[in-house]
Formats: sequence, C-alpha cells, structure tokens
Amino acid sequence: MSVQTPQHRYVGERLVRVEDPRLLRGRGQYVDDIDLPGMAHAAFVRSPFPHARINGIDVEAALALDGVFGIFTGKDLNHLAGPLIAGRNDYGGATLGSDLLETKRQLLAADKARHVGDAVAVVVARDRYLAEDACELVHVDWEPLPAVVDANEALSDDSPRVDEALASNNIVHKDFETGDVQAAMDSAPHVFRKRFHHGRCHPAPLEPRGIIADWTTGADRGVTVWISHQMAHLMRTYLSELLQMPEGRLRVIVPDVGGGFGLKAHLFTEDVVIPLVSRALDRPVKWIEDRYENLAASNHAREVFCDIEAAADDDGRLLALRMKFLGDVGAYSPVPYTPWIDVGMAAKSMLGSYDIDNVGYTTDAVLTNKCPTGAYRGVGQTVGQCARESIVDDVARKLDIDPFELRLRNCIGDEPRVNPIGPHHYDGGSYAECLRKARDVLGYDELRERQLELREQGRYIGIGICNFMEHGAWGSKTYRAHGADRPFIDLVRLTVEPGGSVVVATGLTPNGQGHETTFAQLAADALGADLEQVRVVQADTERTPFSMGTRGSRSGVVGSGAILRAAEDLREKMAQIAAHQLEAAVEDIEFGGGKASVRGAPSQALTFREIAQIAYFAPEKQPEDIGEPALVSTRSYDPDPTYGNGTVVAVVEVDVKTGIVKTERIVFVEDCGVVLNPMIVDGQIAGGVAQGIGQSLLEQLAYDVDGQLLSGTLKDFLYPTAGDVPSVEIAHVVTPSPATTSGMKGVAESGIIATPAAVVNAVADALSPFSVEVDHTPITPNDVRALLRAAQASSQAATT
Amino acid sequence: MPAAAGAVGMKPAAFRYVAPADIDEAVAVLAEHGGDAKVLAGGQSLIPLMNMRMSRPTALVDVCRIASLSGVSANGGLTIGAATRQASVAASPLVADAWPVLTEALSHVGHPATRSRGTFGGSIAHADPSAEIPAVLLALGGEVVAKGPGGERVIPADDLFIAHFTTDLAEDEVLTEVRLPRREPGVVSVFSEVVRRRGDFALVGVVAVAQMDDDKRVRSSRIVLFGVGEVPFRASGVEDLIRGQQLDDSIVAEAARHAAQEIDPIPDVQGSVEYRRELAADRVGLALRQLTTQEGVPA
Amino acid sequence: MSNVAPVSDGSQDLRVIRVVVNGETHTGMAESRTLLSDFLRHELGLTGTHVGCEQGVCGSCTVLVDGELCRSCLTFAAQVEGSRIETVEGIADGDELHPIQRAFQDNHGLQCGFCTPGMLITTRALIESNPDPSEAEIREHLSGNVCRCTGYAGIVAAVQQAAREIASADGGGA
Repeated sequence: MSVQTPQHRYVGERLVRVEDPRLLRGRGQYVDDIDLPGMAHAAFVRSPFPHARINGIDVEAALALDGVFGIFTGKDLNHLAGPLIAGRNDYGGATLGSDLLETKRQLLAADKARHVGDAVAVVVARDRYLAEDACELVHVDWEPLPAVVDANEALSDDSPRVDEALASNNIVHKDFETGDVQAAMDSAPHVFRKRFHHGRCHPAPLEPRGIIADWTTGADRGVTVWISHQMAHLMRTYLSELLQMPEGRLRVIVPDVGGGFGLKAHLFTEDVVIPLVSRALDRPVKWIEDRYENLAASNHAREVFCDIEAAADDDGRLLALRMKFLGDVGAYSPVPYTPWIDVGMAAKSMLGSYDIDNVGYTTDAVLTNKCPTGAYRGVGQTVGQCARESIVDDVARKLDIDPFELRLRNCIGDEPRVNPIGPHHYDGGSYAECLRKARDVLGYDELRERQLELREQGRYIGIGICNFMEHGAWGSKTYRAHGADRPFIDLVRLTVEPGGSVVVATGLTPNGQGHETTFAQLAADALGADLEQVRVVQADTERTPFSMGTRGSRSGVVGSGAILRAAEDLREKMAQIAAHQLEAAVEDIEFGGGKASVRGAPSQALTFREIAQIAYFAPEKQPEDIGEPALVSTRSYDPDPTYGNGTVVAVVEVDVKTGIVKTERIVFVEDCGVVLNPMIVDGQIAGGVAQGIGQSLLEQLAYDVDGQLLSGTLKDFLYPTAGDVPSVEIAHVVTPSPATTSGMKGVAESGIIATPAAVVNAVADALSPFSVEVDHTPITPNDVRALLRAAQASSQAATT
Repeated sequence: MPAAAGAVGMKPAAFRYVAPADIDEAVAVLAEHGGDAKVLAGGQSLIPLMNMRMSRPTALVDVCRIASLSGVSANGGLTIGAATRQASVAASPLVADAWPVLTEALSHVGHPATRSRGTFGGSIAHADPSAEIPAVLLALGGEVVAKGPGGERVIPADDLFIAHFTTDLAEDEVLTEVRLPRREPGVVSVFSEVVRRRGDFALVGVVAVAQMDDDKRVRSSRIVLFGVGEVPFRASGVEDLIRGQQLDDSIVAEAARHAAQEIDPIPDVQGSVEYRRELAADRVGLALRQLTTQEGVPA
Repeated sequence: MSNVAPVSDGSQDLRVIRVVVNGETHTGMAESRTLLSDFLRHELGLTGTHVGCEQGVCGSCTVLVDGELCRSCLTFAAQVEGSRIETVEGIADGDELHPIQRAFQDNHGLQCGFCTPGMLITTRALIESNPDPSEAEIREHLSGNVCRCTGYAGIVAAVQQAAREIASADGGGA
C-alpha cells in the first residue's frame, strides 16, 4: 500500500509564531509566575571563599527568625540522595570521555567549599526576603584553604587538590593522531605556533534557573516539579533515581523557559535539594536563582588554553595541524556531562572543512577552585574554530596569502566524506561555495581598498573570516562516535482527535526556538492538514512521551523525523477509512487542506473530522481490514549526525587610542540543509552571533589571583546590548542532508560557534600594522591597549 | 575563622520607609536614626546596593514627595531642585540654553528607564567617581545647598567630594538644591567619555570648561576627569599649563601627557592604571581640541 | 527534624498600597522593602512583568509609572503609592494586539519572550516621545534592555514597523 505524500504548504515558509501572542500579552507562564497554596521560598547560603574547610554551621539564630520554616545543611540532606556523578550512564546522559576520574558531588558542601558560591545550606521561609534575612544569620565556621585558580598551576604536583578523593586535578586526558604529525612538521617549510586562551563564558539566559517542588505523602505520594529546563523527561529520570521515587509518581513540567543555551540542560544540586526540603516541610517550595547565584554558581563554560601548531608549504597548503587543549573546568564535573565536553568538542571540531592529512590533539580537563563549567550553546566547537581560524590567519599573514584564498586552497570537496578525526561521516555541504558567497556579499575587494584608505587616516578596520562546521542533530550515533555508548530515544505522539484536531505531543523542551510553530508546520504538511488544526503539546512528562530534550541543535531534526514517521502511519489509516467511504482505491486518496479526497475528483472528499468520526464512533463505516482504528501513532527518530557549514565574516573597527572595538558588519552565509522556517533559522543565527560578539569582546568572568569572583553582577558581566550588535547580513545555501529524513541539519548553534573566531580574526587583522598577536578572548579595550603599548615598547627598544 | 558574610541574595534587608511632607521633617527623621537612615531619591544607585545587601539602612527617607525639591529655574545661573529627575533636567530648555554641556552629559547617564527615576541631586550625593553628573557639577564650579538640624549651608563643588562614594554631606543633612553659575561670555565647554557600552559608567571621561580670550587664549579653565580615582578629579596641572595659552597641537599634547600623570587611577577588571592614564590623555587631548572649535556666548 | 522551625504567624511591617494598574484600581499589602516588581507579580498577580537581575541592569522589569519608564526592581512599592502604572498586560486592546506587539510578532522580535514585556514598554515610551525614531535612536533608547535570544535585529525592525504603523494610523485619524 502506498499512500500519497501531501504537497508542502507550510514547510519552508516564513510563518509568524503561534506562541508569540501569549508572550506578547504578558500571559506566558515561567516558573516564577507559578504560585501554589502554602508555598514556601528557599534561599541558599553560599561560600564567600574559593576553598575553605567547613568546621561547623550554626543555624540556631536563623531558625529562630519568625517565618523561617526550616534550614538544612549537608548533614541533613546528603545522606538522603546523591552524590551526583558526572558521566554515569544511568543518568541518561553521556559518558563523553570514558577515561574520566569520577567526581562525586554532594548536594550541599559539607566538608569544604570548593568555589565562591558553593552552596552549604538552604533556608526555607515564608517569603524570599525573609529567607535571605535568615541566610545572613547562618553562622559558618570557615577555615580558608589555599586555592588553585589557574589550570596550568593545577597540573603541578604541589598544587592544592580541589577534590581530595582524586589522585590529580587533571581528571581526563585523551589524545589522538591521524597521519604522522611530527614527521610532517619536521619536513614542512613553515611551522607556526601560538597559544590561545579562550576565556570563561556564561550562557546567562535572561531568566535564571528556577524550580518548584511539591512533594505529597501518603497514599497518593508523589512529586510534581516545575522547572526551567531543556530536558523534562531526563530530569524525571534523574530525580526518580536520586529521590527513589518511581517515575509514575514523579511529574516534571517545564513551563515557558526564558532562554536555556545549554545551562538548563544539566542536573544541578539545587534541583535535588528543593524536592527534599519540600518533603521535609510538607509544603511546596520554590527557589528562583538570583543573578549573583547565576553568575557565581551556575555553570560557566569553555575556559580552554589551546597550544596550536600548524605546518604549511610555500603555497599555504596546510600539511599538519596539532593542538593541545587544556580546560580549566572549575570545581566540579557538570552532570550529566563531564568536563571533557569543552576540550573534547574543541578537539573534534578543530579540523572543520580543512583538508589536512596529519592531525593530532591532546585534551586535558583540570579542576580548579572556580565555578564549575558545563554546556553552553556551541559546546567546545567555538573554541575549536577560534583556535584553528586564528592560526590559519597567522599562516595567511606570514606567507602573504589572502585569507579567503588560503582557505579555498585548503578546503575539502562538497561530497559526503569521512571526517579524519571523528569516526562518523560529514554529510556533505557547500564548503567552498559559502566562502565565495561570503566574499561576494561582503564586497571584499572594495573593503580591502577601503581598509587601506582608512589606515591612512589613522582608522583601523579589520576583516575576519571563519569557515565553520556545526556538528548538530545529536543522537545515539553521535554519542557513540564520541565514545559514549548510550542510546538516544525521542518519541513524538501524533493524534487526530474526534473533532479533527491534530495534536503533536513531544517531550522536546523548547526555550525560545518556536517549536509550537515549526512542529505544527511539519505536522500540517505531513498530514495535509490546515495549520490552524494542529496544536503542539510539549515538555510535561505526564502529557508527552519520552524525549532526551532540546540541546545540541537536535530538536528540529529529531522532532521532524518522528513527526514524518507518525504522520505516515496516520495517513495510512485515514486513507483506508476515506477510500472505503468514498469507494476509491487507497492509492488514489490524496491529503490536503484538512481533507482526504479522491485523485482527479476533488469534490469526493472527507474532512479530517468526518474521517475521525468514523474512526472513533462509527465502526460500521470502517473497512473490515482496518485493524485498530485509533488515529494515533507514537514514533521515534534517531538521526545520523549532521554537519551544517558556512562562512562568517566580521568587520570591526578598532579605535587604537581607546582600544574600543566596534563590530560594524557580520556577513553570515549558512548551509543548514532544508530550511523549515527561514524566519526562525535567521533568528537562531542572529541570536548566536550576538552571543558570539558578547563572548569575544564584552562578557568576562574574572577571578582575582586568590579565586574571588570579580564578575558577580551585570555591571561587571557585560551582555551585548542593542548598540553592540549590527544587523546580521544572512545568506543561505541549501545542501539537503542525505543523513536525515527531512534533509535538515542542526542550525541553532552556528552563530555562536563561528562568530567569535571571525571577530578575533577581524581584530587581529585591524591591528596587523602594529605586529601584535591577539591570543585570547574576550578582547577588552584594556587588552587592546595593552597589546599596542607592548608593541610600541618593543619597537622602541628595537630602534634604540 | 569568623564567618565572613557570603553574598546573599537580591532582596533588601528590612527598613522603615518614611515619606515626609517637607524638608524639616526629613531632616528630623534622619537625625532620629543617627546615621543609620538614608535619603531615598530616585533610588537608581541605592536600591541595587540594597538588593545585594551591600547597603542596609534602617530607614529610608523618601524626598521625592517634597514638591519644593523638584524643578529647574534660571536666575542668571541655574537652580536645580535636588530631587528633579535626570530626564527632566535633560529635557529642560533652560538647561540646554545655560549649559548645553550638561544636557549633553545627561544623555550619557544610564538609560531612559533610569534617567526617568534617577534624580539630579541623588547622583551628586551618591558620588560615584565614574558618574557624569558630579563631574559636570565640579567642572562648572557649581555649589550645592544642604539642610540639616542646624539649618542650611552651601557647599562649593570643590569641597563636596571627599572620597570614594563619600561627600561632605552629614548623615542628617538633606541635599536640597544644586546651583550652577551663569555662563560667562567666551566660556566654552566639552563633555566626552569612553564607555564599554552605551549607558555604562565611564572608563574615563572628561568635562572641560574654559573661558577664552578674543585671541583664543585660555583665560581660565576647569578640567575635570572622572573614572580616574576616588573622586571626580580636577586636573589643576592641566589647568595651570593651558592658562594664557592658545590650544595648539603642542600644548594639547603636553596637556594630555600631564593629565595622564597627575591622576591616581584605581585598577579594576575594566582597566589597569596604565590604561586609564592613556584614556585620560586621550580624552583631555580630544576635549581641548574641541574647545577651540566652539563659540561661547557673546559678551 | 530538629532543623524545622515551629509554626508561627509572624508580624511584619506591612502597609496598604493603592495603585491604578492598566486603568484598574488595585490594593495590596507590602512591606517597606517590597520591590515594585514583587508587588506587581506576587501581590497583584500581574506576572507579565519579568525579573531578570534585580541589579537594575537587564530591563526586563520595566513598567510605566505615571507615564514614565521605571525599573520595577529598582523601586519600592511604597514609592509609587497612588500612582498610575502600566504593564505589559495593559498594552493590547482586548483581543486585538497593539501595533507594537504585532510588529514584534511580524519581525521575530522575540524568542524566549522573557525580555519582551520590558522591550514592549520601553518601545511604547520611545514612540510616544519620538514618533519617527532612526535606527540609531532606537538602538540607543533600547540600550538598557537586554535580549539574550534575538541579536536585536528583529526588535529594531519591529520598532521601526510599529512607529510607521502608529504614525499612519494617527495621520489617518486626524
């Protein structure tokens, strides 16, 4: 039996979002908007020291405060659940990096605090104000310990040990080589080296984290959790195991989420503490992370030292590339991932679309007394592109080859091919075409002329390129390729209701990506329904089937694959009913406009409602061979990995007197295969670009030499604002992916994966007349001036 | 080791809110609390500190309901009520006419949503060394009026800023008005600052005011740098250097170098001492060059 | 458990606050220290106004007080006793989205929606004071409102569209 595939009406269209009206009216519902009867409010007591023994905690004065319901320390809670162990398979996460030294994190630090902001007690009170009053009255007897703040120092044997249960601060080491890197380096005419420090970043969603837990006891015992998160079902899995509560009695609801960017794809200790204190106090408890907690104690990301070596011939052909990545991963492993994710993904993405035979890397991840690091949009890939593109521009400059030309000379072909440093395939793309297109959109030659003219006037613009790949659509095969043998499963349930409505139920957990719109577009086209008929239900473990959640640019690809499969099942069933009723052959039934009709006789048609009425309520009108008439199908999809690609070019102007860098233009040529909704794709790119500019030029998480956080407020951690980000000039190339049913590739991270490298290179290009080396992010005005000052001093020294 | 208070939260500690109807009542409430009370005006600097519990007064005396504290009037110079919103001062034609440099500076103070609440006097009393308004007050040679239990007194700007976030105002005094002098013929002025992002506090800024002779020589000047130390800083070395001089390239360059050396910047995450010296030189140079292009009001 | 406090009713420094929000009179209780953002959200149940930092930086909590922009996390409820307040909930006219809201939808000026209420209110104040803002003026006016999702391009385009539509509607009505 072959049932027709309907014509596309919605896929590929720039449809406005169905979720917008409620958000625009202030009628969204975020965690902190939820109020339950009798609800209490939690606040945490956190360490002011980077490393300190806890000799005792006195809660008496705090507990005596009127309106304080309870105060809990590690002694009260740690034996009830935990510890949290990163990389454990049974957390449903990923054992990325199997050589990992296992770290165990207690719910509340009981023996010693390991970073500024480490939580040691939780206060629960009538309201948040009072809870914070009580936090101030909790007396902790601290004994400060020497702290290690720098990853390079943490490697040394006499460094303070962050986790005394481990033999070393270095908790994962891996290396890899293909070809013969050393031989290639030895025989190459040119070898280039540099050390690049990729600074600490923070996803910093505008809505901080937050959770409400309502634990009921007795016959109907169970826990309901509302949490701002990216993985509703996995959170239930984690909590079920940790709280020893059967999944059937645990409900996780993710309401509207004010941005996630990977931060909300973790299990944090607070997520376990709040349910436990709800149980202890027999009332619902809410905790909303404040901005200081967010900056000090929610996961930072991607602080990596990169030692880079590249060998080239006289024509700029790259002969070998070797990188050592040393990650400063902070005080604990992120759960469920491991601290290997940043250095590992940096390594896996170091080659990109370059055709180099001899490639090697080593990765190390080192504990320090700073905030733990975890997943942030573009995990590691940003670091990998920065390291590679930075040395590529060095090669171009020193061999006096145009940077576009050098990249074209080293570019792989468009066909699908083996990725020499990863076991899985590239699914094909438009690697050289994107470079050329970006050059055209930019008006490159004229811009180079303009650059020279401006230099004469003492103005310095720079052009920076990043030819990138985005590794998306994470699923089982991806994880296996990264050494984590952990199946991924994502189910979507598609239902045609008796009245003809179509309901898409998915556990994918959006946080601004517009799934209510894009999944409706897909389902409407896949069934031949009208868009208005389709409703998307998501992110509630009691109303949606299991999913691994929204992360790693996977939801669009995974969701579309499962929707297409489920729709095929439903079309088959509906075609049978329609064919029987219309006295036509099943093969002649067409779907479109919310109807099933007979090919060539459009007036012979049944609406979805009419078909559903038969399926649900009129067995006598069903064909005998219908089997189960239910118009519901639950299907899964586990894609092959996809590799989007593209080229981003940044144009900056550096004021050499003040060091201020202004991003004048961003040209972004992107190939993410088939585009579901161009408006949403462009929005993902533009948002990622802004974050990329932020992390390259503005956002900084600084610690002093003793380990004190210097960036605990938004006066210090500088988000890019409207004046700091130009409107991105986006162009598309479409190479449908042969790896996915929809032809789509993951796209949500490309902006942030690629932009920092382009911005770094643009600053370096602008400053090229001064012989300075731009070797870190963020590049602050203070840093630009320091580079120029040093260059001036050394040129003066050279002339005297 | 005794417990160091960890950073806690984002909700202020408890206090008593008082909204007196007149200044005398405000002064009385402040006196009653003996230094533990604070004046609340727009709150745009104070409330963030209270939310983070870095400031914890036992009482707040809201002066924004005292009508006599708001408004701008011209009387040769300008009199600006201490509780006048920054946005109102920025929009005042009287201000734009008398001291356009103040109107210009105000457009760089925070953001629309902070200027509409933040008050002119509040910024002065808060005395952030990186803030624009205190620097303008000092550069214009203005004065403030304070009322305390002993009555009113006038404090010249030169005597007002004592230390980091500290003024000469006593704990039981209310800043009531700010007085700016008349703009004399031949007086020109420039505001310029370097910021990371629009609306941020300055890395370094300058307010330069000079009275020029007919032959474009500097008769007198007040050159104030901000973001360069504990308080808004009068670069008196630069003032001495340019007095009686035409602002040609060599004198400007020398003045810029001088500015860099006479400040005592405090290093922080945003900028080293060296960097701030460079910025001070850059801004002073820029400001002096711009002074020469301006026309003062005719005699 | 020994660390659970005995039940108590407590007594607080509470006062009655009366405000007119979106044209409707509301009365609620607040401590002296209750922030306007908390008063609107948790006492009056108007949760459309969001709180992103409580450090006065992100702009999510922006409302209008007596027609002027105000960061509700930098204002005590007691300070606005007797004032007229406008929040995001009051922008639309019944079922009909306001032209500013429609423009944000048309131009993908929002993703997660968290900064959106502050953006809408700030835009409204801008267009009232400057009916034909340039792109530079828009970016400057919005510089105190952080968006982490959109990269601002959609927001800027939305403000431009809204200004055009409001101007032509006003022109048509005059």
